[in-house]
Amino acid sequence: MITIRTLYFFGFLAIFLVAILATGAHYYLRHLKQQKYPYGKWDELLKRLGSLDHNNLALIAGSFDNEPDMEDEDLDPEQIWHLLGGMQGLEVVEKNCAVLVDLVFYVQQWYPEAMLVAEQLRQNAREVQWHIDRIKSAAKIGKPRTATPEYLQQAVAIYYRMSCQVLTLYEQADLPGLADLQGAL
Amino acid sequence: MHLTGTALFVWAAAFALEILLLVVLVTRHRATTFPVFTTLIAFNIVKTVVLYPIMVHGTKHSYFVGYFAFAILDFALQSSIAYELASHVFRPTGTWAPDVRKAFLILTVASFTVAAALACIPSPPERTLLGTLLDRGNLFSSALQCELFIGMIALSATARLPWKTHVARIAQGLGFYSLIGLLLDASQNVLVRSSASFQAVDYIRNVTYLLCESYWIVMLWQNAPAPQELPEETRRQLFTLQRRVEYDLRKLRALKR
Repeated sequence: MITIRTLYFFGFLAIFLVAILATGAHYYLRHLKQQKYPYGKWDELLKRLGSLDHNNLALIAGSFDNEPDMEDEDLDPEQIWHLLGGMQGLEVVEKNCAVLVDLVFYVQQWYPEAMLVAEQLRQNAREVQWHIDRIKSAAKIGKPRTATPEYLQQAVAIYYRMSCQVLTLYEQADLPGLADLQGAL
Repeated sequence: MHLTGTALFVWAAAFALEILLLVVLVTRHRATTFPVFTTLIAFNIVKTVVLYPIMVHGTKHSYFVGYFAFAILDFALQSSIAYELASHVFRPTGTWAPDVRKAFLILTVASFTVAAALACIPSPPERTLLGTLLDRGNLFSSALQCELFIGMIALSATARLPWKTHVARIAQGLGFYSLIGLLLDASQNVLVRSSASFQAVDYIRNVTYLLCESYWIVMLWQNAPAPQELPEETRRQLFTLQRRVEYDLRKLRALKR
């Protein structure tokens, strides 16, 4: 005779089996996909790029780097936040850093020496992450978001240089998808 | 207790394959790489040698007591194999990959909890304490192995750590056996022990084990594909990098003093 406890048992067992098999299938399919596209898929890479205003980034980065060809105008913290698009913009910078590294990794299928650029970008991405972590920690302990302008400016400046580097690499190597990339960045 | 012709054949075949597998492990020098797995196979041979005469000449109770004692050791060895395989995958250079260590600990604790919860739910019909413990223990062990293997696959894929051929083959065999075992253990937890269906489940389990043994024999007999060698230029770069790191470390140590 089937008791209610037996029913519970089979219900729990079914959930357990579905979870185990789904996890196994997910990672197996991921493995197959990695074998088929070891450098990732171009469309998916572009889709992962969040939208940011490149001109605003140039303005923030320029005010930080004090480049001679840029207007030598100091931006106040509130302006920087506004130009970046607030915390949402910062999250996009964080995510895009990883995509930029993957975009250079993608180039390796034609130019294996691009590995050096990928490694350099990986280091830059870590630096950006470090600055963003500082900003987030400050926000957590209740500091106003304008209290850490130097971290914000540095993060944006490094990210801006990274994106320029990726664009230059695609341009110099005359790679397909440059126009798409320019549009996405 | 008496075995039917088919059951006796399956038992004898499993025993012969266990001996063959042990010979393969020793002669192909896999025993040094997988000492725990080799111990488990040797242990299974001893188990068969000890339990068979008890089953034929002893009482049903004495057989169960013997089987229970071996089952505890079996569980300990199977858990150690999970650790052995994990250390091959996550400790490729002798130290644990730092981003994986904590995740592996969490996986182990979570797997124990879920497997224990699953094993506690069924209420077997008319069963002795020893029989209940045995069936729940088997269910717990199978669920735990399934979770650990799937978890290890997920972790290694996330950390991009490769599975060497022989490690992957042993894990595939054990994973498959555990998954089938889980289904069989689950059904045995709700069946009457002396029923024909209970015996049939045992029979399917033994056939599954035969398949796994055959798979291991073939796979472990074959050599793993030789790893590709690094180009000379990269080798030189790594050598230079190593020297630079050594130099930097010496400088740092000097600064500390």
